[in-house]
Amino acid sequence: MANRTIPRLLQTPAVLLLLFWMLVPLSMTLFFSFIRYVLNSLRRPEWTTPSIENWRGFGNYQFVWNQDSFWLAIQNSLLIVCSILFLTVSLGVLIAVLINRTFPGRGIVRVLLISPFFVMPAVNAVLWINMILDPVLGLQGIAVNGINDFIDGMRTAPVLGGFFSLWPEFEPISFRATQTSAYAVIMMVTWQWTPFAVLIFMTSLQSEDQQQKEAAILDGAGAWNQFRFLTLPHLARPIAIVVMIQAIFHLSLYAEIEIVSRGNGNKNLPYYIGELVNNNIGAASATGIFAVILANIVAIFLLRMIGKTLME
Amino acid sequence: MGQIKLNQVTKSFGDVEVIPPLDLTIEDGEFAVFVGPSGCGKSTLLRLIAGLEDCTSGDIVIDDENVTQVPPSKRGLAMVFQSYALYPHMSVRKNIAFPLRMEKMDQAEIDKKVEAAATSLNLMDYLDRKPGQLSGGQRQRVAIGRAIVRNPSAFLFDEPLSNLDAALRVGMRMEILELHAKLQTTMIYVTHDQVEAMTMADKIVVLQAGVIEQVGSPLELYRKPRNLFVAGFIGSPKMNLIGGDIAKQHGAETIGIRPEHIDVVASGGMWEGTVGVSEHLGSDTFMHVHVDGIEDSLTVRSIGDIAVKHGDKVQLTPRADEIHKFGADGLRIE
Ligand SMILES: Nc1ncnc2c1ncn2[C@@H]1O[C@H](COP(=O)(O)OP(=O)(O)OP(=O)(O)O)[C@@H](O)[C@H]1O
Ligand SMILES: [Mg+2]
Repeated sequence: MANRTIPRLLQTPAVLLLLFWMLVPLSMTLFFSFIRYVLNSLRRPEWTTPSIENWRGFGNYQFVWNQDSFWLAIQNSLLIVCSILFLTVSLGVLIAVLINRTFPGRGIVRVLLISPFFVMPAVNAVLWINMILDPVLGLQGIAVNGINDFIDGMRTAPVLGGFFSLWPEFEPISFRATQTSAYAVIMMVTWQWTPFAVLIFMTSLQSEDQQQKEAAILDGAGAWNQFRFLTLPHLARPIAIVVMIQAIFHLSLYAEIEIVSRGNGNKNLPYYIGELVNNNIGAASATGIFAVILANIVAIFLLRMIGKTLME
Repeated sequence: MGQIKLNQVTKSFGDVEVIPPLDLTIEDGEFAVFVGPSGCGKSTLLRLIAGLEDCTSGDIVIDDENVTQVPPSKRGLAMVFQSYALYPHMSVRKNIAFPLRMEKMDQAEIDKKVEAAATSLNLMDYLDRKPGQLSGGQRQRVAIGRAIVRNPSAFLFDEPLSNLDAALRVGMRMEILELHAKLQTTMIYVTHDQVEAMTMADKIVVLQAGVIEQVGSPLELYRKPRNLFVAGFIGSPKMNLIGGDIAKQHGAETIGIRPEHIDVVASGGMWEGTVGVSEHLGSDTFMHVHVDGIEDSLTVRSIGDIAVKHGDKVQLTPRADEIHKFGADGLRIE
């Protein structure tokens, strides 16, 4: 028995730390979500201290549930997370398969491909929204202007002039607007996280069995069928990992939302919680618990889907 | 049909010529075995025939059609790999059905063929398992099943049994031979195990460093090895090769005598020697005998169990008509 005790003792600090780390915030959140707790109230000063006296039961949950903005936030969260997952996984598989062949300059291409992952999220957001997507000063504005100028110039050209005068003037899109700000977030995060997917898929592709490929070639499978029946099932596990990790990360996006439009049109759950935290801690905690539940549902649902479709 | 002809085929990887110009014909329905030491180019040759490697030069002709430029799937060959190369995510049923599915055959037909193949290979109980849940022998049978359903004009086997344990290997060897007897299809079988080659082949192709040393039936190779390499390679235990004065007496640079062609006599033997290690197998006894004037110990095979032990003196006589003579160039002298 003694030989068991020492390892146990040595593990204890780590286990305690982990328990503390996980359990304390979770139980505090749970506790706050069941009481009335605000930071600031002139009318009811007793609500400004967290106390069991202010028990509210499921009142906070009910309050949040009945807010339209809560449902909008959930909708945005799902839209943003699912689009990013879909785009990064498809692009990741595509790029990984392409650069898995040997070609001159492969080393450099790989390093370049990975580099977006090392940009800080906030910097990434600032770069994208100001330098690329800005309708006036960004690449987008310049490109749209360029196209408009070109069309304008061509209107007076001989033969083709008639054709070009039928073209409308293009309008640059403002990505800070309510209708489009979620797409800006999707674009910039996809750009940043595709390298992560590529990296994971690439390592997995290198362990693919070449004899299986050759057997498939002899069996008459073309490039597409080899991809569909061998490579894709082989990638199922790494895809599941990428989806899992990204789902967790992107459900808690914050910097990008803040920088693109301060939550205008692209408010997700964390941002919504952030707004509530300005005063109503109770409601914010209830939303937090909803977010935990949502994250679990999303994760389970996505993993099931991947398991079903990819594993033949 | 399935006659396979190689005309002046060569293969180089970069600057290294693995197969120098090579000619070979394998007749329809023949069971041909490529045998040779590791790295001699057996697999490469098989992969050239399958189309998985391109010939550097030369032609491959299957049934009078030049297939050198034809893609692997159109050559009508099926291959069984050493590592089985089953598709790990598919059930046994789907594995066997895969080539048919790629041919876009209709489902009813596929089911019929898969069932037929599975029945003949005793796989009916495992159709819904994944390859990972099968034993080595069962996996090998699935790989063979996947080859059979395509109805190929020839089967290519690349060391299919080397991952199996000894007992299973003997069993599978019989199964493959049964299959060959039943289908009467050309089979090319690669192995580095000369016992496998001897027991299975209609025709053995002995390779060394990409060069064909000899082609012939097992008994031809056993009785009349064309050169020293084949003499040393074919036969188990190995032929005794003796140089020096003893060979000179026979008018050769080297003479070879198989262990089973040396008799232990009571007295008046040609050679006298001291027994080193002796292996008692029950049915046979292998003795390693040190004889003065012969550098390596002689291996002697006697039928039955003879009571000899380390250090005993024995008298040996080789059977005169079973002595193989080789010249300075290593070639056989008749
Ligand atoms: N893709 C390749 N690139 C370079 N050299 C190769 C390649 N494939 C095989 N070789 C070389 O060709 C030679 C023959 O290889 P091969 O695999 O045909 O041998 P083998 O007879 O099948 O050996 P084993 O019994 O060990 O399987 C070896 O020297 C090997 O190093
Ligand atoms: Mg080999």
